[in-house]
Amino acid sequence: MDISSFINFFLIPGIILGSIYALGAIGVTLVYAIMRHGHFAHGDLATFGAFMVLLFSASSGLSPYAALPIAAVAAGLMAIAIDWLFYTHLRTLPKIITTISSLGVALMLRAVVQIFWGVNTLSYETGIARPENWFGLRIKPHEVVTVVMVIGLVVALEIFLRHSKWGKAMRAMSDNPDLASLCGIDNRKVIALTWMLVGALCAASGFFLGLNTQVKSLMGWNILLPTFAAAILGGVGRIEGAILGGLIVGICEEMSVLVIRSEYKVLSGFVILLLALLIRPTGLFRGKVL
Amino acid sequence: MRNTVLGMASLIVAAGVAATPAQADVGIGLVGGITGGTAALAPEMMKSYQFAVKQVNDQGGIKNGEKLIGVVADDGCNAQTGVDAVTKVVNVSQVVGMAGPWCSGVVLAVANSVTIPAGVVLITPAGTSPQITALKDNDLVFRTVPSDEYQGQVLARTLLARGTTKVALSFINNDYGKGLADAFQKEFVAKGGTVAARAAHEENRASYRTDLAQLAKGGADTLVLIDYGDSSGLTVLRESIENDFFKTYVGGEGMKTTATIKTIGSKNLANFYVSSPVSEKSQSLEVFASGFKSAGGDPNATFVSTSYDAVFLLALAIEQTGGDKTKISAALRNLVDAAGESIMPGEWAKAKALIAAGKPISYKGASGTLAFDANGDVPGAYALFKVNGDDFQFVTDMK
Amino acid sequence: MNFVTLLNYPIYLLIFISIYGCLTIALNVQWGYAGLFNAGVAGFFAVGAYTSAILTSPAAVGRIGGFSLPVPVGMLGAMLACVVAAWPVGKVCLRFRSDYLAIVSIGVAEAIRLVVRSEEWLTNGSRGIIDIPRPFGDLPYAQSQVAFLGLSCLILLVVYFLVERQLRSPWGRMMRAIRDNETAAQAMGKDVPRRRLEAFILGSALMGLAGALYVHLTRVITPDAIDPMIVTFLVWIMVILGGSGNNRGVLVGALIIWVIWSASELVTDQLPADIALKAKYARMFLVGLLLQVILRLRPEGLLPERVGTAGGSGDLGRTSPEAIAPSEGSDDV
Repeated sequence: MDISSFINFFLIPGIILGSIYALGAIGVTLVYAIMRHGHFAHGDLATFGAFMVLLFSASSGLSPYAALPIAAVAAGLMAIAIDWLFYTHLRTLPKIITTISSLGVALMLRAVVQIFWGVNTLSYETGIARPENWFGLRIKPHEVVTVVMVIGLVVALEIFLRHSKWGKAMRAMSDNPDLASLCGIDNRKVIALTWMLVGALCAASGFFLGLNTQVKSLMGWNILLPTFAAAILGGVGRIEGAILGGLIVGICEEMSVLVIRSEYKVLSGFVILLLALLIRPTGLFRGKVL
Repeated sequence: MRNTVLGMASLIVAAGVAATPAQADVGIGLVGGITGGTAALAPEMMKSYQFAVKQVNDQGGIKNGEKLIGVVADDGCNAQTGVDAVTKVVNVSQVVGMAGPWCSGVVLAVANSVTIPAGVVLITPAGTSPQITALKDNDLVFRTVPSDEYQGQVLARTLLARGTTKVALSFINNDYGKGLADAFQKEFVAKGGTVAARAAHEENRASYRTDLAQLAKGGADTLVLIDYGDSSGLTVLRESIENDFFKTYVGGEGMKTTATIKTIGSKNLANFYVSSPVSEKSQSLEVFASGFKSAGGDPNATFVSTSYDAVFLLALAIEQTGGDKTKISAALRNLVDAAGESIMPGEWAKAKALIAAGKPISYKGASGTLAFDANGDVPGAYALFKVNGDDFQFVTDMK
Repeated sequence: MNFVTLLNYPIYLLIFISIYGCLTIALNVQWGYAGLFNAGVAGFFAVGAYTSAILTSPAAVGRIGGFSLPVPVGMLGAMLACVVAAWPVGKVCLRFRSDYLAIVSIGVAEAIRLVVRSEEWLTNGSRGIIDIPRPFGDLPYAQSQVAFLGLSCLILLVVYFLVERQLRSPWGRMMRAIRDNETAAQAMGKDVPRRRLEAFILGSALMGLAGALYVHLTRVITPDAIDPMIVTFLVWIMVILGGSGNNRGVLVGALIIWVIWSASELVTDQLPADIALKAKYARMFLVGLLLQVILRLRPEGLLPERVGTAGGSGDLGRTSPEAIAPSEGSDDV
């Protein structure tokens, strides 16, 4: 195979998929860092966000891109509501109970999407988008948008966490919640803020997944495993780790058909997860070992 | 604890009573995948089931005016759900026969574990797997839809006749995809064609570009795509057209959905063909189509004519046997015997009078003549379609 | 209408409840007693079902088989296959916190589903395996159902008493000690990883047994029969509702949840088609909500775990606040 078709059909799809996984993995890693539990409703929250974009763009005639911020806020509020309704009172119990609860929340979110939108495949745009040729590289416009916006979101998030007051509070709470509390940080506000960010990131990852493929009720659940693989590979609690992990998982998944039957492509993320746990459980960036 | 058990028991009884038709009426099962993989087909097929039931009841019902009661059940296109649902239909609602399920895997499971042991006739309007042919069914399993074995063969012959000798084959990794793909490949290769590359893919993946790149390496310029047009088939088709992996695309009937045209746009689908079982052009079909249309149904939707035939034929058999479920299977074969007087879809009153007079009748189905062979299968008629505007247009019959 | 045939449905419900009962006891061994979060119940269920199907069915073209072994051999084989599958999973994951095991076990279930779908030589791919023998399958329908119910209840009882005995033995006390305070147990010289692995393997083998029972009931198995999320989630909610750590409790959970799940469908199916469709999803939503309600109002379940000399002296009502759920000990990050 020549180099250009390798890049066009394996590397570029891998990077796109990887960026989407990365957005999801950042959310997973934030929940781990601040709330200290695995959040299995993550994928279905992304589905919810993707359908919110559909709802707002269809009802107002906005383009899906313009509807994304509104949908991100809606998904963020949804995440806060879920936390307030279902997770808050479990906080004194072992964390694993919250994880079980999140599995139930995943089912509920999916059911809501299926009740209102059914199980048919929908899409943001009709027609096809033929890729443009950039010196032999075949890239579609929405692929460029995906990568640029993912980079933008990540940079904004980094700046927020490093330099803003609330971002510092979040980092403090991630390091030591009791100490943070003693220093006058309001844990409840930090938690709400975290869920807002997580919900918004979920909506973004769901939107980009829907933009590059289709919008349907199981889309989020199907990316849960690679998303977790990315977060754990990168190192739990490390945002830069989640990004690198997402890209590695995405690219490996797309390249796996070169060596294995395509039926098993789906399992690439799982294999990476196993290898990471076996060889380097702290992840590439030395995150927490939970 | 005891209260819980009592509560549970009364719940079962209450639910059982709610789902059981009144004494004199005759129940038949209307089973289908309302949820699950066939959900997109469900509304029109269910409408067609109910349309047949309504016609029977409007024209005098069964025997002395008893109502035909359709007991709807959802198999979820999942064997476990299906077995659970059909057990209820057979044992709680006490049906004497049933139309459905639709998904082949569910038909196999349900027939083996519920309907054959219970001696209830099952007529599937959509289960196309070749494996249903081989069931040891005591003559209790029928279908009004032809086996994919035929479709695969005629599709292979049609492509060869149109001068396509080299194809790549991509199919969804399930019963339907694999069954049709295997039947196609066997015939295509036997008649001198080449399958340059072949791969199954999982449903629900984000992207299939790499799979397609692998398939395209085989050097074929036609892709035979066996999948569903509102699921992964849509993604595969769209990504392949966007990246010019192949020039021509040929799908099975699963790809014949308007969702495909709506999403990809008809101007991009000039080289997209689908094969689909068609009802042989007949007066029966026209009668059914106009009746179904005026009842608010879409006569061009997939499997509606087979669904109608399954229910109507079952009702005729019940009328003839007086609802004795041990005789229904023999009656089904008599009712389509060419010797009798012709009955069109909807001619319930006429059929009722003939049966009362003891005269033989021959039901001319909306989907074809329904000449059941020894395995309860029917021969199929297929046609090739292409996209025109917002819908599919007939190209040629496939032999 | 014939009253005897109307009894068929409750009998059928009970058969399924006994199969799910087996699954809940299996999960109770893993979660209730050892604190292991296995979210891949359906995967082990599938391994058991397919193993027994392959061992007992007659020969078929295109896949291995034709062993036509007796059903009990198939069931033993199912348990053995699950032991073989569970060992490496446990070996890799039990070192980590429970939610790592959870995500890995979701992956294991997915991997098993793909293998079952794709390896035609082994499982006949998506076409599945048919003609699986059924104990008492030659009797008329109603008798055969009753006989099968007898068999499945017998197996459930045997499983129940064996597991109960095991849990009252020193092994069981040690399991709970490890679950409640891992560090202390370790300090007392207990081989924690080894005990956890044993519990994980025992539970998985029982899940395989339940799978074998299921496949001999339905006589046919296709990959679609194993919806990874529904089976797993139902078993989980049965265990949590009934009371993790209490085998009788989880059986009550299995009874209640399966009756609600199965009987509610009788009601929703009577609705018009388009509403019925939404009612199905609403049912899923309510099951998810039920879990939240249980966790909020009665996290210890209907019949909580008993503490003290387990079961011996009728110490009714004495429940430990810690019995709510297995704690992770002191490793709170």
